[in-house]
This record gives sequence, structure tokens and C-alpha cells, in this order.
Amino acid sequence: MTDVTAENGPDSKGPRRSVIYTRDKKTKTSVVLMDRLAGRVISVGGLFVIATVFAIMMFLIWVAMPLFGTGSASAPHRYTIDQSGAPVISTSLDEYASLGLELASGGHLTAFHAPSGKRIADMQFDFAGSQPSAFARTLQGDDIAYGFEDGTVRLGSLAIESRLVAPKSLPQGLTTLPGGDRTDGTAVYLEVAGKQVRRLAPSLALDTLVQVAPAGTPIRFLDYRIGGTSERPTKIFASVDAQGTARLSAAFSHVDMMTGETATEIVNTEVPTGLDVSAISKVLLNTQGDRLIVVSKDGLLHRFDTRNPTAPRLAETVRVLPAGVVPSAVTYLNGENSLIVAGADASLKIWSLIDRTSKDTSDGKVFTAIHDFGAQPAPITHLNVSQRTRLFIGADQAGTVALYHATSTRRVLTFPDSAGGEKNSPVSALILAPRDNAVIAIGEKGDVRLWSFDVPHPETTIKTLFGKVWYEGYPEPGYTWQSTSGTDSAEPKLSLVPLIFGTIKGAIYSLLFAVPIALLAAIYTAEFMHFRVRAVVKPVMELMASLPSVVIGFVVALVLSPIVENWIAAIVLAFGVVPLTLIGLAFLWQLLPQPIALRLDGIPKLVAFFFGVAFAIWVAMKVGPVLEYGFFGGDFKAWTSGSGSAAPFIFLLILPVTFLITFSLGGRMLGSAWRDRLRSKPYHIAGAYELVRWIAFTIAALALAALASYLLGGAGFDARGGLVDTYIQRNTLIASFGMAFAVIPIIYSIAEDALGAVPEHLRSASLGCGATRWQTAAWVILPTAGSGIFSAIMIGLGRAVGETMIVVMATGNTPILDWSLFNGLRALSANINVELPEAVKDSSLYRTLFLCGLVLFVMTFVLNTLAEVVRQRFRKRAAQL
Amino acid sequence: MVDMAQTSDEYMDGAKDKAPASRFSMARTKGSDLTARGEPMVWAMGGSLAFGLLMISGFLALIFWNGFTAFWPKPLEIVTTVSGRTIAGEPLRTESYHPGAEILAALEPSVRDAIIDNGGFADRTLYRIGNYDFYGNDFEWVSAYEVKSVATPKDLMLVERQEWGVFIGTLISMDADGQVSNRPTLDALNAAHERTRALREARIAIEKGPVGDINHEINELRLSIRRAEIKYGTDSPEMIAAQEHAASETVRLTKEFDKLSAQVLAARAAEQSVTVKVADIGGDARDFPLANFVLYYFANDLSLAAKVQIYLERWWEFLSAEPREANTEGGVWPAIFGTFVMTVVMALLVAPFGIMAALYLREYARQGRIVSLVRICVNNLAGVPSIVYGVFGLGFFAYVLGGSIDAMFYPEHLPAPTFGTGGLLWAALTLALLTVPVVIVATEEALASVPRSMREGSLACGASKWQTIRWIVLPRAMPGIMTGLILAMARGAGEVAPLMIVGVVKLAPELPIDAIFPFVHLERSFMHLGFHIYDVGFQSRNSEAGRSMVFVTALVLLALVLVLNTVSIIVRNRLKRRFAGDKF
Repeated sequence: MTDVTAENGPDSKGPRRSVIYTRDKKTKTSVVLMDRLAGRVISVGGLFVIATVFAIMMFLIWVAMPLFGTGSASAPHRYTIDQSGAPVISTSLDEYASLGLELASGGHLTAFHAPSGKRIADMQFDFAGSQPSAFARTLQGDDIAYGFEDGTVRLGSLAIESRLVAPKSLPQGLTTLPGGDRTDGTAVYLEVAGKQVRRLAPSLALDTLVQVAPAGTPIRFLDYRIGGTSERPTKIFASVDAQGTARLSAAFSHVDMMTGETATEIVNTEVPTGLDVSAISKVLLNTQGDRLIVVSKDGLLHRFDTRNPTAPRLAETVRVLPAGVVPSAVTYLNGENSLIVAGADASLKIWSLIDRTSKDTSDGKVFTAIHDFGAQPAPITHLNVSQRTRLFIGADQAGTVALYHATSTRRVLTFPDSAGGEKNSPVSALILAPRDNAVIAIGEKGDVRLWSFDVPHPETTIKTLFGKVWYEGYPEPGYTWQSTSGTDSAEPKLSLVPLIFGTIKGAIYSLLFAVPIALLAAIYTAEFMHFRVRAVVKPVMELMASLPSVVIGFVVALVLSPIVENWIAAIVLAFGVVPLTLIGLAFLWQLLPQPIALRLDGIPKLVAFFFGVAFAIWVAMKVGPVLEYGFFGGDFKAWTSGSGSAAPFIFLLILPVTFLITFSLGGRMLGSAWRDRLRSKPYHIAGAYELVRWIAFTIAALALAALASYLLGGAGFDARGGLVDTYIQRNTLIASFGMAFAVIPIIYSIAEDALGAVPEHLRSASLGCGATRWQTAAWVILPTAGSGIFSAIMIGLGRAVGETMIVVMATGNTPILDWSLFNGLRALSANINVELPEAVKDSSLYRTLFLCGLVLFVMTFVLNTLAEVVRQRFRKRAAQL
Repeated sequence: MVDMAQTSDEYMDGAKDKAPASRFSMARTKGSDLTARGEPMVWAMGGSLAFGLLMISGFLALIFWNGFTAFWPKPLEIVTTVSGRTIAGEPLRTESYHPGAEILAALEPSVRDAIIDNGGFADRTLYRIGNYDFYGNDFEWVSAYEVKSVATPKDLMLVERQEWGVFIGTLISMDADGQVSNRPTLDALNAAHERTRALREARIAIEKGPVGDINHEINELRLSIRRAEIKYGTDSPEMIAAQEHAASETVRLTKEFDKLSAQVLAARAAEQSVTVKVADIGGDARDFPLANFVLYYFANDLSLAAKVQIYLERWWEFLSAEPREANTEGGVWPAIFGTFVMTVVMALLVAPFGIMAALYLREYARQGRIVSLVRICVNNLAGVPSIVYGVFGLGFFAYVLGGSIDAMFYPEHLPAPTFGTGGLLWAALTLALLTVPVVIVATEEALASVPRSMREGSLACGASKWQTIRWIVLPRAMPGIMTGLILAMARGAGEVAPLMIVGVVKLAPELPIDAIFPFVHLERSFMHLGFHIYDVGFQSRNSEAGRSMVFVTALVLLALVLVLNTVSIIVRNRLKRRFAGDKF
């Protein structure tokens, strides 16, 4: 040992003598460097690729997560705008949350710089000596109406004018406000994107007065709406005077061509409320002017139908609060289909107008409580709603302001109190900025609190995405996907359930079709086929996997679906006829004497299969129309929509069951005696007996099915509305057939590989023991390859779940929840494909679509991992056998 | 020992009695037990296989037949219906259909009974009647029972026009610069057509070439001002200099532009100087500039050679021209080019990274639980739906990466995105990500199939690890790697769903590679054969109008994918053969 070290040591001279060692022993530096470099690059690059691939999931989660966040609100800016004791009745805020307006009861208006509270301007409504007794604002808040003690009403506006000013034409001598905005004493100038300046200034206007109530009768309640188009606005208002008379008034303004003055003409309609004015809590009008709501102090909601303005009538009376509970705040939610009702018992509910015939309503609509926020910390006294979404804010008696979202039924956030711990005075005016990003609450003592907040996705929660949600105008809670709609006031409905359902429905139906074909074909290929034929057949089947799915989708949707629509009866029939024909041919084949059967066993038999299938399809096409006339009233499509008897389809459905019953019962009845008798006969004679038996059993099964379907049909069972429904040209049947093109080759190929991986010696042993090939396949090979076949099905399922183009093209993409084979579906993948190109970046829809992607990712990843683990275990076991 | 044997025998017998498959014991007695043959199951299995093979062969036959016959000139027919209407058109296909109940009720009793006797089916033929600008409709179904007579006159002409699609009717006269000739000879028509088409092509060359360049330059000038503004500030001397430069340049360019537009106008007038008067079957005569005719022929008066010529002309137009008529006519050259460039870029991206990852997994990483876990995951990623990659591509590549690139390198273009929206690079990257598992798996398999002895031999000879990989392992694994790569390309070329999100458009104004610096425009959106199929088949005015185009496009795409797949199979077989004779 020591010798070796000595010899190899650097001091040793011995080795130098050898020819081999004359070469320089040192590896070239370049080689070493190259080796190291390659190692680094490959390791870093390889890890990078693998990390990237895993980053996909992280990224999807990262984008989708904000959907479940609540958002945040700033600490309040606090300041006081002195109104010299007059209570504040209303407030406004512009869309940049820069200029605030504060209207005091005497008609005094203060404009202030919202971020800092600096007073900009003071203005005064000129009431010409009248005493205001009621005040109303439109939903947008720019138009107002005053009611007076003398029974008159004046319409007007209280707006923040906003316009862009070129930087060069800015007035001189602007003073800079805290925060960088500037003012000239009448308006606020703020810089906006694109180096432009926006001028924000308050503007007041008051039209001439109109007499609504008899002179001297004060107006007590007022509500005001402007509808119509901006060119031809229709102004309507509702009023209740001190005598309890409710009126609906439409104002028509026209400009006098001579004087240039605006004259307002009023058309009044009295609404018989039958309520005392002291019992009324709130009067609400809608923009169309066809509905008047009076909420009384005893918690009843009276809805008047004013569609016919000359004859208003009471449509319904609903108890919205328990008896004895006074409503503390009531207002319409954006869209004017739902009311937010807050009671003195600190309750908060959303009531929505829903179509429902009931004896309590005369027009088929009922106000129904669809969302209940539960008990709030204190009764809510003031409400203000978003003009764009279903957000609203409420202020309670304690002065706490909170943000709510109607559809997701949650208190999104409570605006924080300032760190100083000043006591909040009860709120007297409240406004949500037009962009839903700031809130001003003005207390009774003129103390102003301003919060800016950021709640990007208030409408999405786990519950709205995956649970039942009661949307406005829907008769009941449900799972709905409707991301866009025609009107602005409609809200997006983002439930993933119909999409996940659609994905599963598509996958299940396509697998029901593909799995039997793929597995049976794989078993035949692996166990019954000559290896030379297999070498041709397998690549041809695998070729199917490489068909681009867009081509499959095109062929299936545009070429096949009209054909299928014409031949639907024949195709439904083919599902029964093809297997029956094949089995019938098998029994006929048994009639062949054994030597001939053996000689024909190879290619001729394969050809016979082709002819068998073609013959069966031909039979189905010939018999289909006959059957259609005989049992489906001549039109299968009309039958699916509900005409004719339910029995024929039940007959087809029940057929497999009756076959199972007759064959197992019949087999048991004949028993081993039958088989023993056959055993003594030559094969082809036994075959004849078997054929007779089969025909008899088949007829029995058909008869049994006919009887059962007649009875079941009579008992009222009907597949329509469940498994089948109104026929739509692009439907699940078509899509499943298209997906079969994608799924069959995958299952076939993997299953065939699994069968081929079963060790040859098992096969040899079984055959050697005298088992037939069928027995070997069924009792030896299949159980061994079971897990491999399972993984093949799982991978096929994964493919079916993720398939996009075929589903997009071959189904109607209708997000519905029904199992009908003749109806469409909307899969997660198709949904992403259809919606994502239109989705605005970072919107709720965008993130929801990323969530769809994540769900899809997780679904397929789980399926594939399961398959992979099972397959690896199978491989290990197969290797041990 | 004897006792032992006996007990074991008894034990065996007991097991036999308990065995569920008592039929095995029966099968031992001689005789013909048909259940053992399982003939019905064999037929079910064989039938399934036959069904699967029929599916694929039927599918391919459908695509190939419709694709290859789409451009063959068919005869034109004039159909006179029972109600006295005449329709001139090209019969496209005949099918059996179910006339609805209302239609049936309105029919003559004898016709109705005939249909009912036929199982409720009637035959109908789809005619392409063309003349969309005349009728507002260019396809019509004619039921067999409606037809009174069919004629095929020789003077019926089919014209493919630049606008409004196909015209079918008769030729009345030609007006060449005021010289009117009634029923001109085909030669005269051809000569005039060739002349005006040449003029038209020259004009388009001007519009696309110099005029396009001027527009590009003006845009560049505008951007240079913005660039100066961003870099040096508003009203900085640099910005003012840029503005002045731009102003003077714009004057020059405008002058040039005016000159060119005068040329274009003159050319347009020249090409419109020849008009032809044609009339539809109803006698409605209209004038059209001859230059707007792309192709015309008297369908019932064609020799076989002429038919072949038209057939080839149409194929050539299809493969080389740009689409017209909302993609339903013309060619698909931009889509072919887009598909090709995208696939190549994808392959360039996927190859190094996929091979690197596989090398790392197989040669560098320590084989253990984690690596096998990673391997399972990589395997599974091949099964993750392509649309998920599309979502990732849009969110990460286009919006996050592209947005940052825009902010850093193209601020002058904002808010119009350059890289911040779907484009060729992002599409290729997305597909690279989609196909990287395929390459990793294939490469790993190829690396694993290199015999260990070869590696050991190389290392024993003193080669370093990298030398072994570089000179021994990689060359041996190359065919396998190539197989994986080609399969990845085939998958990428056929994939549409993710591309629809990350950069494919129905009509791209510019090709991704052109003569404008920097020549390869990876940020541009592009056209793709697969998306073309979807778009024309589903989004166009009339799916019937684009149907034959879709079939041909599908044929081209399918051919591309099948060729790639076949090549990979051949390469794989070669690989197997090489190693079969390569055993140590």
C-alpha cells in the first residue's frame, strides 16, 4: 500500500519511466472551466425551468387572491366646517374627492377642499322668503328639489362642475392648497394625468317655484328623479303634504322663445295612500316614475303601481320590519330594484322586487328580503349608495361609518376612527364619492370626516363564487354566471359553480362514450392482435391524438352537428343497435365450424368487425326514421321539448338493465344443465343452440323493457327535463363526440401500454394451462394491468377537463346547471377562452378568470398526479411479477 | 414426507373449491364451452377498435376530400323551381334533411306523402348563388321537390371579385377606355384583365411601399419628440430641437406623400378605365372595373386542362395571397407565415431550456425522492390544460413582463402598449412553457436510453463530466431529443386556445418579419392557421361562405401537424434501430 502512494507521489521518479505517464497529468484548465461552467449553467438553467413551471401556480394564486381580500381604508381626515349652528342636510363630493360641498338647512352652501378642509367658497340658495320644509336629491345627486311651507316646490341643481383647463389658460394668482391642489377662491384646480388641469367649481341653480300642494299646506316629504335621455330629460317628483296627500308630479320645462326664460309646467296625480302624514317615514320614487314607495313608521312598506299615471293603485303592502320597530333609514340600491331597509332595532336588510304571483300583490311582483346583514352594532341612521355598484355606506347612531356590499351580504369594512380618540357626533350627512373610493361623513356639529379607501373586489367572496347567491330580480338564490350585461345598473354575477359543473358534465359524458371504446379497443389490440397488425393499428389510433383540437371542433360543430340534428333519432338508436348487432354477429360467428373459424381468425375477422360496425350504423339509419315516426311522433327534436309520450326513451334507457336481468336470471334458470348438454356437441352446433338462446333472451329483454317503460311512463317518469331536454344544435352529445377524438387515443395508448407491460410469462402460463385467450385477457391480464388502466382513464379525464376549443365550438357555451345531453354547457376552459380577451386587467372578472384557471390547474394536477402515482406503483409491481 | 405431500394436496383441493372461478375446473373437462371463447366480448372489443379506426379514418377522409376538392371548378347550374323562380349557382353539396312540420304542411299532398314515406327525409342541394351585392345573400338551399328543371348553359360565368365575393351571371359587354365591345372574346377579356391587374398591383406596391414608409417615418418623428420630452423634460432645448426637426421633415414628407398620392390616384384611374357589364340571372346588369376581378371562368365551358389550371391558380392564391372578404376568401399566407414564425421562435426557446432541465434532472441532480417528485410534477404539467398556460401568458408575460418592458424601453409609445399586450414573443413563450414538459420528458428518456457503459467508458478514459455529456451522451440522445422537439412543435403548431388570449388576431396588418428595422418584430400580433379556422368558421358573417376555405386551412394545418408527427415517428424508429445494433 505504501508503495503505491510512494509511486504516485510527486517526488517519486519511478512512474516517469513508463510511457503512459509521460503525458501531462494535469487536466487542461479549459476543460475544467468548461466542465464547471456547463455544470453551473445546466444546474441554474434547469432549476430555472423547473421553478418557472412551478411559478405558474404561484402566479395564478397571486392574481386570484385579491378577490378574497377586503381592502383598506385610510385614517380619517378630520376638520370642522362651521355652519353657525345650522344643521347640515346634504353633502357632495366630486369624482376626484377634491371638492366637497356641504348644504345646511337654511340653504347655505359651503364648498371646501376635501383633503384639507379649507373653505373655498360660500353660496346661498335664494328662496325668496319661503321657508323650506322638505329636501330631495336625485340618485346622481346633481339635481335637487326643495319643498316649502307654502306648498310650493322648486327644482334646482347642486352640482360640482368639472372641466379640463389648458395649463396655459390658468388664471393668475392661484394659491396652493395643502396637498398641491390650487385655488382661486371660487374653484379648485387639480393636476390630472396627461399634464392637464381640471377645474372643479360648485354651481347652484334654482328653477321657478311651482305650486304642488294647496297654498299654505307645507310639503313634508319629497323625492326627486330625472329620467329620460340627457337631451330630453323627464323630471318627476313625489311629494306628501302636511295633510297626508301624496302626489306624483311630472315637470315639463320649456324655454320661452320670446323671453328666453324657462317655464316649468307641472302635471300632478294624487296617490291615495290612506296614511296619516305623521305615520310616514320615507317616500321613494323610481326613475321611470312607475313605482312609488311609502314606508310607514310602523314598519310597513306600501308600494303603489303608478304605471298608469292617471290611476295609481296600491300594489302591495309588505311588513319590512317587526311591528313596533321604526325604520331608521331606507333607500334604493343602485338600479332601483332593491331597497335597503335599516330599522331602529339595528337590523339591516335588502328587499328586492321579485316576480312572484301571490294573493298579496296585484301586479305579480313582491318585495322579498334577499339579504340580511344581521344585527349591526347600532341602528343605522344614514345610508348612501354607490352609483356604479352594489356598494353602500351606512352611518349608525354612534357615528360609526361602515361600507357594505349588498350582493355578497357583508360589511366590507368599518371606517376607522382617528387615532386621537375624538368622540364622533352622530352623522347628519353622508356621501360616497362617485368613484367608490372616498367617503365624507358630516356630524351634527359640523365636524367632517373624510376617508379614502380601496376595496377592489367587494362583490367576490368564497360564498359568491362557490355558493348560492340571491341576485336582484331572481326568484330564488342560485348559481349564476353572467359576467356582462346590457345595462350599467346590472351587476356581474360570477359563480364558478355552473362552470365547474359544465366542465364535469362535459368530461363525464365524453368519458362515458370514450372509455368503453378506448379500453375495449386497447384490450383487443394488446391481447388478440398479431404484433404486425398492431404495429400498424396503434400508430393510426395515436394519430388521432395529434389532430389539432380546433380542427376537431370545426368538423364537429359545423359539419357534424347539422347532420346529427337531422339524424338524431338514428343516432340515439345507434347506441343500442351497434352493440346489439356486434354481439349478434358474434353469435352468428359461433355457427362457423371450428376449423373455418380458426382460419378466419386474423385479418378476415378484423375486416368483419368493420363491416359489422358499418352494417349496424346502416341499420340504425334505416330503422331510426321508422322508430321516430312510430314512437316519437315523427320528430325527435319536438319530442325532446315535451311532446308525445315519455315511454319510448325510457325504453332505451332501461334496456341495459333489462338485458342484465334477463341474461343473469335466464342463465341461472338454464343453469349448468344447459352448458353440460352443449359441451357434448361440436362447436358450431353448440353455437346454434347459443344463438337461439341469445335471441330468446334478447326478445325477453326487449319485452321486459317495453313493459317497464310503459309502466314507468304511465307512472309519470320522464327523462325529459333531466337527462334529455329541448334539443339544441350544439349540445353536449356533439361536444362529447368531439372530445372523444381527443380522449380515446390517450386512454387507448396508455391502456395498451399498461396491458403490454404485463409480463409475458403470466400470459404464457395462463395459455399453457389451457385457458383461452379471452380467459387469459379477462382473468389474468386485466386484473394485473388494472391500476395502469385506471391511470389511463384518469389521464383521459384530465384531458377532457382541460379541453378548450372543442368545447368552445361544439357547445353553446351556456352556463346552465342541467344534465341534459341535448343542451349545451360552459366549461371553465371555454369560459376563460371566451371572456379573458375582453376582461379589463385587474378587474373582478379578470381575477375570477384567473381563479377559473387555478381551479382547472388544480383539478388536472390532482388527476394527473393520482394517475402518475398509480402508474408508477403499477410499473414497480409489474416488474416484480 | 408423504404425509406432508398429502396434506398439501388436500390444502390445494380446498383452495380450488373456494376459488371463485369454478368455471376453470369445468373447462378442464373436454368439450366445447363457448363461454370460454368469449366470442361476444371479442366482437365488442374488435368492434370498438373498428369504430375508433373508422372515426379517425373518416375524419381524415372528410378533411382531405373537402380540402382537396374545394378549389376544383364545379359546373354552374340554372335551376328553375316549381314556383317559377330561377336560381343560378354552383351546387356545393346535397344532403337529406327533416323538413319541419310547417314546411310539410304547406306542401302538396303528393310531395308530402313521398317525404313521409321516405322516413320524413327530403333531399336538398346547397347552391352558392353569389352576387351578395345583388341579393344580400349568397347561399341558398334548394329542396329536390322544388326543382322543375336544371340547365347548364355555356355562357354562365363565375367571377371571384376583390369585393362582394363571387359573382355568377353572364357577360354583356366590355368598355375599355370608351371602346365598347359587346360579348368580347375571352382572349380580349384576358388581355385587358392582365393589363389592369398589373396596374393594380403596381398601385398597391406604391401604397404599401413608399406610402407606408412615409407614414412610418412620420410616426417615428412624433415618437422622437415624445422621447425627447420624456428624457429631457417638457420644453427642454432637446425637445424643441426635435420638434423643429420633425416640422421640417414633415414638410418634406408631406410633399413626397402628395406626389405619391397623385401617382396612386392616376394609377387608380388607369386601372378603372376598363369596365365590364355583367348581368345576373334575373337580367340585372351592372358595371364593374375589370381590375376588381380576381379570377373568372365560364364554368360549363372548361376543358380539363383549364380546370386544372384554375385549380392550381386557386391553390397558389390560397398559399401566397392575403385574405379578402373578412378572411372568407383570398389566401392565408399571413397565417401560414405567422404559424411558422411562431413555431420556430417557440422551438428556439423551448429547445435549450427543455434540454437543460432534462440534463439537470438526469445527469446533475442527485437522484432521490425530490427528483422523482419533480419528475412526476413535470410529467403532470404536460397534462395541464393549455388554456391555463394562456392565462399565465397573458397575466405574467404580457401584463407583468411586457408592461415593465414598455415602461422601461418604450415610454414614448404609452399608453399604447408595445410589449404590454399579446404578441408573437409572448405567444411563443407561452407555447414554449406549454411544450417544455414534452421536451423534458422526451430528452430524459433519450438520456436514460444511452447505455451506462458508454458513460462509464468515457469517464474511465479521463473525460470530464461535461466532455462525456457533450461528446458521448448528447450525440447518442440527439434523435430522441429531436423527436421530443418535433412533437413539441407539432403540439405548438396545432394549439389555438392559449394563443387566442396572448396575441393571435383575425387580421394582422403587418407580418412579424419585414423590411423595417429591426426586421423581426416580436411584439406584433400575428395570424395563425388554427385561429383562422376558428375565426372564419365561427365569427364570420356566413359560416357557409368560409366553409371551403376552412376545410382547406384545416387541411394545411393538419398536413403540417401530421408531417411533423410522422417525422418524429421516423426519427424515433431510427433511434430504436440504431440502438438495437449497438449493444455492448
